[in-house]
Amino acid sequence: MSALFLVTIGIENFLAVGALLFALGFAIALSKRNAIGVLMGVELMLNAVNLTLLTFSRFSPSDRPVAGATFVVFVITVAAAEAAVALALAVSVYRNRDTVDVDKINLLKS
Amino acid sequence: MPFLAAEPITTLVPSISEGILWAIGASPFAAFVVIALSYRWFPKIAGYLAILGVGAAMVLAYVTLFNVIDADGGIAQYTHEWFRAGSLVVNLGVRVDGLTAIMLVAVTTVSFLVQVYSTGYMAGDPGIGRYFAYMCLFTTAMLGLVLADNLFMLFIFWELVGLSSYLLIGFWYHRPAAAAAAKKAFIVTRVGDLGLLAAILLIWTRTPTHTFDIATIQQVAANHQVAQWVITWFALGVLAGAIGKSAQFPLHVWLPDAMEGPTPVSALIHAATMVVAGVYLVARFFPVFEASPDARQVVAWVGAITAIMAACIALVQTDFKRVLAYSTISQLGYMMLALGAFGYAAAIFHLFTNAFFKALLFLGSGSVNHSTNTFDMRKMGGLRKAMPITFWTFVIASLSLAGIFPLAGFWSKDEILLDAWRDNRALWAAAFAGAFLTAFYMFRAIFLTFFGDYKGGEPVDHHDPENHFHGDPAHPHESPWSMAGPLLVLAVPAVAVGWFAYRDAFADFVNGALPAVEESGSSFEWGIAISSTIVALAGIGLAYAVYYKEWVTSKSLREGFAPLTILFENKFYLDRLYEDFFVRTVLQRGWNRLLELNDKYVVDGIVNGTGQLGRELSQRLRIVQNGQLQTYGLGFAAGVIILVLAVFTANPL
Repeated sequence: MSALFLVTIGIENFLAVGALLFALGFAIALSKRNAIGVLMGVELMLNAVNLTLLTFSRFSPSDRPVAGATFVVFVITVAAAEAAVALALAVSVYRNRDTVDVDKINLLKS
Repeated sequence: MPFLAAEPITTLVPSISEGILWAIGASPFAAFVVIALSYRWFPKIAGYLAILGVGAAMVLAYVTLFNVIDADGGIAQYTHEWFRAGSLVVNLGVRVDGLTAIMLVAVTTVSFLVQVYSTGYMAGDPGIGRYFAYMCLFTTAMLGLVLADNLFMLFIFWELVGLSSYLLIGFWYHRPAAAAAAKKAFIVTRVGDLGLLAAILLIWTRTPTHTFDIATIQQVAANHQVAQWVITWFALGVLAGAIGKSAQFPLHVWLPDAMEGPTPVSALIHAATMVVAGVYLVARFFPVFEASPDARQVVAWVGAITAIMAACIALVQTDFKRVLAYSTISQLGYMMLALGAFGYAAAIFHLFTNAFFKALLFLGSGSVNHSTNTFDMRKMGGLRKAMPITFWTFVIASLSLAGIFPLAGFWSKDEILLDAWRDNRALWAAAFAGAFLTAFYMFRAIFLTFFGDYKGGEPVDHHDPENHFHGDPAHPHESPWSMAGPLLVLAVPAVAVGWFAYRDAFADFVNGALPAVEESGSSFEWGIAISSTIVALAGIGLAYAVYYKEWVTSKSLREGFAPLTILFENKFYLDRLYEDFFVRTVLQRGWNRLLELNDKYVVDGIVNGTGQLGRELSQRLRIVQNGQLQTYGLGFAAGVIILVLAVFTANPL
C-alpha cells in the first residue's frame, strides 16, 4: 500500500459526513410532500446526529468513554418508537383522507 | 376628640360652655338617628321624639342667647383639630357670637313650633316617621351651619341643608310635580354652591396661613392682607352661594316650586332654615364685603332686583302658598339689599322678624289648606268666620310683613329703608316701591281668602288612594289645637319681637360678631318711618278697594296694565328662559349634541380604530401562519443558521 493512500481519517471527516447527512435529511424533511418521505428525512437527521455524537465520544478524552455511545442507543430506541407512532399516524390519516400529502392535511387552516 | 385641650381663642368670651354648644346641634341629630332607627316599628312616637330633640336644642339656644347677651355679643370659639394633610389643616369647631345666637334662637324656635304643628298637619300620613326624621336632619344641618367656625364645616352643613331640603320638598315623591320640584331645588342651588366652593378654594390657597377659619378670613380681608381681586372674587363666590340658597335673582326659580313639599316644610324652609342660610352667609362674611365695594354693590343690586321682581310676581299669583313664596323671595331681597347698603344689623334684624311672621304665614296657609283641601285662592273666600284663629293670626303676620306700626316688621323694614336711604337713593326707591307692593299682595291674599263668599274649596276624591285628606272642604272648620296653638304662639313674636330687639341694642349685639365696628349714626328717622307706613297703608287700601269693595275690578286692573301683568304672570319669562333656552337649547341641543358627536366620532373612533388596526395587522400576519409545518421548519432552520453565523462571526475560532 502506498503511503499516498494512507490517509488518516480524522474527526473532520466524520463530522463532515454527519453534517452532510443532516443537511440531506433536513432538505428531504422540508421538501417532500409525502408524509412517509418527510419521516424518512427526519430519520436521516437523527442518524446524522448519532454519528456526530459518536464522533465526539470517540475523539474526546473522557472519564466516561461510553457516555456518547449510550446516548446514541437511547436515540435509536426513541427513534424506533417515533417511527412506529408516526407511521401509524400516517396510515390512520391515509384511511381517513385518502392521502398522505402533507400540503393537503390542512384541516386547521381556516 | 380632645375636648380637654380646647381653649377659647378670644378674650371677650360669653361664659357658655362648649358642651352646650355641641349639644345644640347634637340633640336634633340624636332625634334624627333615633327616629330613623325606630319609625318602622313605632311611627307614632316620631313626632314626640322630634319635638323633644328640637325642644332641647331650643332651650339650650335660649341659654346661649342670654349668655351671649351678657357678653355684649362677643365671640366664643372652641376649635379642635380634625385632621391634617400637608398644609391642609381641617378643624372641628364651634363659634358663638351675637349673630350665631340670634340665628340659633330663630332656627330652633321656628323649628320647634313647626314640629308641634306637624304632629297635627301630618297626622295620618303613612310617611310620618320619615318626615320627622328628615325634619330633624334639616334642623341639625341648619344649626351646624350657624355654629361652624370654619368654612370646611360650614360647607358640609351647607350641603346637608341642601340635601335635607331636597328630601323634604320631594317628600311626596310619588307626585311627579314634587319630585321635579325637589330636583329643581337641588340642581338650581347647586349652581350657586359651585361659586361658594370656588370661593373657599380661592381663599384657602391665597391666605398666607392656608386657613378655613372664619375669624381669620374676616381679619385678613379687613386688613387687606391679600390682593384686592382675591377679596372681590371670594366675596362674589360667597354671594353666588347665597344667591342659590336664598333664592335671589337669577336663581330664585326653585323656591316657588318648592311649595310642592308639605306646608310645614315650606314654613321651615322659608322662615328659619334654608333660605336664610344665604343671608346668614353674606352677613357672616360682612367684613369681606366691606373690604370690597364692588362686591357690596352687586349684593345691594341683586337684593333690590329680587325684592321688586318677586313682589311683582306675587301680585298675580292665584296659589295661596305661591304668594307667600314670592313674598319670601322679596323679603330676602330686602335683606340682601340691606347687607349691600352697610345695613348689617338691619338685615339680621329683618331676618329675625321675618322668621317669625313668615313662619306664621305659612303655618296659617297650611291651616287653610287643612280645611279646604286646596291652595287656590279662587276656591276660597269667607273663611274669616270659620277659622277665626287662623284669620286673626294671619292678619297680624301680614300687617307685620307689610310694615305697619308697631308690629315687628315695621321696625326691621324701617331700618333697611333708612340704611338704603343713607347709601344710595336708587336702592331706597326700590325698597320703598317694594314696601307698597308687599302690602298690596298680602292683603289681596287676605281679602280673597278670608272675605267674601266661600267658594267651596277642592272636593275630596275619596277613591284616590293617594288622598289622605280627612276633613270636609264644603264645611271649613278651625284646625286642631296642635296646629292652632303654634299659630297663636308665633303671633306673639310677630307682634312684639321688634320691641325687644329694637334699635341700637340689637345692632350692638350682632355687631359683636364683627372684628371692627363702624358707627352708623342714629337709627330712626321720622321721615322714613312715616313715609313707609303711608305707602304700606296705601297698598292695603288699594287691595281693599280692588278685592273687597271692588270699586275697581281686578279684571279691569289687569287689562289696564296688560303688558305688565302678562310679564308678571309669566314670572318675567325666567323659567321659560332657563328651561327652553338653557336646558333645551344650550344644554340639550348644544352641549349634549357636542358631547354626543364627541362620543360618536372621537371616543368611538379611538376604540373602533384600535380594533380596526389590530384586524388589519393580523390580516397581514396570518399569511405567515399557513399551517404548513414545513414552512415553519424552514423558518426555524433559517433562524438557526443566522444564529450560528452570528455567533461564529462574533467569536471566530
